[in-house]
Amino acid sequence: MSAEVVWTWVAAGLTLSMFSFLYRDNPFFKLGEHLYVGVTVGYMLTVTWFEYLHPKLWLPLVVGTETGHDWSLLVPAFFGLLVLTRFVPSLAWLSRWSFALLVGFGAGVSIPRYISSNILSQVEGTVVPLWAGHWGAAVTTGVILVGVISTLVYFFFSVEHRGAIRVVSRVGVYFLMVSFGASFGATVMGRNALLFGRFYDLVDFAGARYYHATLVLLAVMVVSLAVWARWAGRGGGSEAPQA
Amino acid sequence: MAMSRQVLARREVWAIIGAGVLIPIVFSIPATEVSISKGVQAVYDKVESIPPGGSLLLSFDFDPASKPELEPMGRALARHAFKRGVRVVAMGLWITGTSMAEAIVRESASEFGKVPTRDYTFLGWKPGGYLVIVEMGQDLRKTFPADFNRNPTVGMPVLDGLDSLRDFDYVVSIAAGDPGVEKWVIFGRQKHGFALGGGCTGVIQPGLYPYLQTGQLDGLIPKIRGAAEYELLLRRGHGIPEGLASAGMLSMSFAQLALVGLIVLGNVLHWRSGKGTGR
Repeated sequence: MSAEVVWTWVAAGLTLSMFSFLYRDNPFFKLGEHLYVGVTVGYMLTVTWFEYLHPKLWLPLVVGTETGHDWSLLVPAFFGLLVLTRFVPSLAWLSRWSFALLVGFGAGVSIPRYISSNILSQVEGTVVPLWAGHWGAAVTTGVILVGVISTLVYFFFSVEHRGAIRVVSRVGVYFLMVSFGASFGATVMGRNALLFGRFYDLVDFAGARYYHATLVLLAVMVVSLAVWARWAGRGGGSEAPQA
Repeated sequence: MAMSRQVLARREVWAIIGAGVLIPIVFSIPATEVSISKGVQAVYDKVESIPPGGSLLLSFDFDPASKPELEPMGRALARHAFKRGVRVVAMGLWITGTSMAEAIVRESASEFGKVPTRDYTFLGWKPGGYLVIVEMGQDLRKTFPADFNRNPTVGMPVLDGLDSLRDFDYVVSIAAGDPGVEKWVIFGRQKHGFALGGGCTGVIQPGLYPYLQTGQLDGLIPKIRGAAEYELLLRRGHGIPEGLASAGMLSMSFAQLALVGLIVLGNVLHWRSGKGTGR
């Protein structure tokens, strides 16, 4: 049995374990859930050392490269260590220096780019001639114009929303609702695509090439869950069976 | 009792959607051809316009959790470029997707007999998120001194004439979130002015349309449906067989119909129960 087949069995087993939650919370689901948490933490710790600390700090600062030791890294290392003072209440104020640096740098890099892309370019794309040669484009431009203005009015709280302002802000609410609906619909279809992906793999894993991994594991899981439910129903488990 | 009914209803919803997704896969029912949207056509046309020997930067900004939605479009874009003799430089901003992205590029390249470091390279992942994009805009080799397989990027044939993001004929980010297409627009295209396309999951699709509308993105392949459209364009244009996205279209249609039916049914039941009429 090749490594590919072994890992296929692991993948099929874990997918079925997570799907088993549709029946109820059970040991297979808990196993998959705990495995996921453990693997994630281990993975992130490994990545932090091997991708961040070791190549970016340890090697150039402590071990040294062909150009020598990079002592300038002591500065970011010092500010990095200050973040850990959050764990000592009496020294926690020192971490503010590190956060001040992070916020200052982040804001400096981001604000000009965000203004350019998310404000100036968006305004440029909204304020265009209504008539661009054909009716389809004119309708689209009109809808964008009405949508932008009415939604902005909805979020304009400096005046009371009465009379004409109220009417326009209500139109803005409808635009927001359409936007939320589109986002929700797209999200749901995205989740269906993920379901399709898992089902596609499970059907693939059910083939003779993988020794019918899906079917065998599904049968084992159904029998095990039936036994477990019966055992738990008699008060043998730590949790009472749910409907 | 009410809880039992809710649980039962939840399981019934799952059963209906699950059956809708599963049946077309089990019986390999072919889907009808999808119509091509403007955003997908724009990305296809842009890749089509790159001359042989030109360059395409593919950024795989997703992890295995979004594989069913985004892997097909990554594969389709890589195949398209390789088929046309375009040099492919790939990378990723999500470390958890690195190995998957490398496999997509390597397998697509081997289909067309492409040689690593000469016809394509996978640069891998670098820490920093959007700062990687900022740095790549200044010096590509300084950002990635070596590729994923530890080949030095200095003197690498596939990177000839490619010193920064400005030198690429086209850049496409395939993303499931942040950092992704939005960061490529804001910190890449806006500053350096290169041509940028995107591919995305359904979750982030609505948030990217303002960039498409304002021309900051010149094309967008949204979710598995967009990938199916791209696969269809590839079959029509280059005879490349369709892949996973097209296989999933009927499942998606069934699931969508089931959802619409369930929403209508839920509203009718709600109305009949008297809650919807204020009774």
